[in-house]
Amino acid sequence: MTGALAAAAGGGCHIFSGCGFPAPGLQDFIWTPFFTIGQFQFTKPMLLAILSALVVIGFFWAAFRKPKLIPGRTQSLGEMAILAVRDQILRPSLGRKGDSYLPFLVSLFFFIYIMNVMELIPVFQFPVTSRIGFVWPMVFTVYFLYLYLGFMHQGAWGYLRNMIPAGVPWPIYIILVPVELLRFFIFQPFTLGVRLFGNMFAGHLLLTIFTLATWYLLSLSVGLLYAVGSFALAIFVFVLETLVTLLQAFIFTTLTATYIASSVEPAH
Amino acid sequence: MSVRDRSGRDTSVEAESRALGLNIGWTVFSYLLSGMAAYGLIGWLIGRAVRVEILFPVGMLVGLAISLGFVIWRFGKRGITREETSR
Repeated sequence: MTGALAAAAGGGCHIFSGCGFPAPGLQDFIWTPFFTIGQFQFTKPMLLAILSALVVIGFFWAAFRKPKLIPGRTQSLGEMAILAVRDQILRPSLGRKGDSYLPFLVSLFFFIYIMNVMELIPVFQFPVTSRIGFVWPMVFTVYFLYLYLGFMHQGAWGYLRNMIPAGVPWPIYIILVPVELLRFFIFQPFTLGVRLFGNMFAGHLLLTIFTLATWYLLSLSVGLLYAVGSFALAIFVFVLETLVTLLQAFIFTTLTATYIASSVEPAH
Repeated sequence: MSVRDRSGRDTSVEAESRALGLNIGWTVFSYLLSGMAAYGLIGWLIGRAVRVEILFPVGMLVGLAISLGFVIWRFGKRGITREETSR
């Protein structure tokens, strides 16, 4: 751990003690490695990403290793989780014929959700997706998947032609080609990744700011009043983040489903 | 309670409009960015060739205008259909 959190963890940095507010910043997203092998550094976010994957795999393995007609508690929970993704994310975009993508979308949704929710679990308290290096591999997986599906289902020419909606006069076509190409190949995946990263990054920063401010202002002075206010805001942001973690996983997966739908269904 | 049509597509109004809104919102945002980037790049390249630097911001503004016009034409004037989301 580096930065403001490490400074605050040191202890005695409070208002009127001659110590300035250890403002959080980028340095709080950089971790000292647990161990190093050559150039490779194993850090906390990596450990949390592996843990998240294990949680998802472990949960669904426990739920469905011996499926019963009358499900037990874990199986019921697993079924509810899968049905929620199917009915709220997959079917509205892809219909029943998209059910073959259900395992992919379920894995994606819960992997992102668990990585996000690490922010709110004591001891872990760091959202893995606030490091953009963990987001791009998922974005590239989705990107290459929908490109592959598009070329497979519509053919290279058909896929490119269908990017621009029908009914556009041909001079406008020429004007729109650079916009559409850039949007489709660059900005669509870019916004998919940056939104998830940005939301989790900002949420973690806010939570850190108010938690640190509470600790910093805590003293037998007028600062105590502000500490109470800061603590209330920290609680508010915490509650907000419980929603944001879920919402961001939902948005990422929903958009993935719509991009897959646009690839497998020829444009109308 | 979700209702499904014959093809199995979930026609639950809530779920469908949520997916629709999400997709359109981010498509519009991507259009605005890509319009500025595409015509900003074209403006910058021409400006570099003819040594007129102002063509870079002019290109970006032109791109933004093109994107805005197209967004209004595609998502505003004609109304939004389900097919629009699957593009």
